[in-house]
Amino acid sequence: MKIGLGLAIVLAAGSLPCATLAQEKSASRPGFVLPPASARIVLMRPTIRVGEQSTGGLFEPNADWSTQAREHIGLALRKAQASLGNEVIEYDEPAGGDRGFATQYGHLFSSLAGSVQEYQLFTGNRLPTKKRKGQFEWSLGAGVAQLPALQNADYALFIWTQDAYGSAGRKLLQAVGFLGAIVGAPMMVSSGVHRGYAGLIEIKTGDLVWINADHAMGGDVRTPEGAAKRVAQLLDNFPGAPNAKSAPARVVR
Amino acid sequence: MLALLGGAKGPKPSRAPPAYVANYEPQTVDERGLWSMADEYERELRDSSLVMREEALDGYVRRVLCQTVGDDRCRAVRIYIVEDPRFSASMAANGTMQVHTGLLLRARSEAELGAVLGHEFAHFELRHSLAGFKNRRSASDALAWVQVLGGISRQDTRDSEFTLISSFYRFERAHETAADLLGLAYLAKSPYPARAASEVWQHVMAEQDATAQGRKLKVKHRYTADYFATHPTELNRAVYLLEMAATLADDGDPGVEGHRAAITPHIRRFLNAQVRMNDFGGSEYMLRELAARGGWTGDLLFARGELYRQRANPRDLVTAAQFFGDAIKAGYAEPEVHRNLGLSLLRSGDVTPGRAALSKYLSLKPEAGDAKAISSLLKD
Repeated sequence: MKIGLGLAIVLAAGSLPCATLAQEKSASRPGFVLPPASARIVLMRPTIRVGEQSTGGLFEPNADWSTQAREHIGLALRKAQASLGNEVIEYDEPAGGDRGFATQYGHLFSSLAGSVQEYQLFTGNRLPTKKRKGQFEWSLGAGVAQLPALQNADYALFIWTQDAYGSAGRKLLQAVGFLGAIVGAPMMVSSGVHRGYAGLIEIKTGDLVWINADHAMGGDVRTPEGAAKRVAQLLDNFPGAPNAKSAPARVVR
Repeated sequence: MLALLGGAKGPKPSRAPPAYVANYEPQTVDERGLWSMADEYERELRDSSLVMREEALDGYVRRVLCQTVGDDRCRAVRIYIVEDPRFSASMAANGTMQVHTGLLLRARSEAELGAVLGHEFAHFELRHSLAGFKNRRSASDALAWVQVLGGISRQDTRDSEFTLISSFYRFERAHETAADLLGLAYLAKSPYPARAASEVWQHVMAEQDATAQGRKLKVKHRYTADYFATHPTELNRAVYLLEMAATLADDGDPGVEGHRAAITPHIRRFLNAQVRMNDFGGSEYMLRELAARGGWTGDLLFARGELYRQRANPRDLVTAAQFFGDAIKAGYAEPEVHRNLGLSLLRSGDVTPGRAALSKYLSLKPEAGDAKAISSLLKD
């Protein structure tokens, strides 16, 4: 039953007309300032999935593209942060593991980021309490400071991206659907999915101090140049960055 | 579906599994993609708090898998015992095997456990994740074309969609039957008797009957799978596996004692999860089955008391108190048995013995989190 509905939903979602709502939003904690050239930031192991979108809308994972993207994005991140004067170190799992805490905090962050996007950043299902001006209160809890590899750092950076490049079949389906307009029955098919979000956690408190989410990201993560563009988009309005507006709390765009 | 019904008569079970390629690496773009996703998933599973990390139990399950499929094959697998009271096991593309504690509790012997693990391993050896992914993709590709072209030409395409979706599920069920057949071949070669594979499904059906009865529902085991079914029906599998096992004439020690000894140290934990499943009939059935093999131990009696205490009809509380008393007599020593006995008695109006049991609980576990709440019940 589940898979049957899944197929139907994939198709339905694929056929929806393009949304005209804002697709990129960011926010940060009121009054939060990141003084330039100061922070030690630990990059938690990013979730990076790259593949193709099949004709029917299925995600087709591609191992090589994912590996390339992981390398390119890691490099681009270090460059981008170095230009802000921040030091980015990759999460170093202690030998013998950390009892799964890093992975579990990764999951907790995913749910947190999902809630921020659903209930505050994007319109549709925003909670009345989260619509108030100057309101941005989200946290992983102070326990995150106990992670051994975060002891000497100030912030933890979490990154999630998924790219599904439209396959030839998907593009053909899109073109044929579009040509349906000739007979007065256009079938709108979207091609390609490029979503991502990034969030910064203050290690001392566990608070989410900045988040940026984008449901239509640019930059081909399979190439170094594209990954640099992607990272620039992921770090849009990063605290302390030249393009960031200063506190107090804001939800940009 | 007809193809499946023919499954019993169609392919012959063989005694020897095909030649095995060790250290297999994924080949195509699709396969490498699926393995990379499975690798990412396994990283997370490895760190999950739901994974039981009990060396002896892990070793036991691995021993049963290796005895079933052979030492060369079982090396390809990482086993994760997941604390989940439902009857299930699964296999990912890259050789990540998940075994639910609900399976360990239900299996009656090493052979029954081996039958399920062998079936899962067969999915791995036959690369079913890849074929299933391709099936899903081609079905959804065709469905997308049918919908777009149908939309443009304003044709009703529901019939074609129906056929496509049904072929997708038929393919899934054919995989299950193929894994059943190879699983049976492993069993035939192993020290375990091949009939165990059919017995797994017979017992699953018996439990379903008990569950349905407990819920005042009718149960009907059918031979033909539903439209959306991903597996052949339990009845179908029990029958064709039994028929094939008969032709193999394969006997051996099913290892009932070995299985019991391996799960006994954890049975308290397994039963605790089972009695919280809101399945009175099924849980009662399982307790009786366990008792039939090893007698009514303190653990089983305590779990049975909990089952009745949770249903909590006035008569159930009386029964529960009785089982808690029996559990204490059988040597069950956890302080909680006195608390639950006391609570059941109090609620049945047996104030003096109820308070005595609660006092016993508090004296055994003065630091208990609920000590304050319990001691408030001791006052008039």
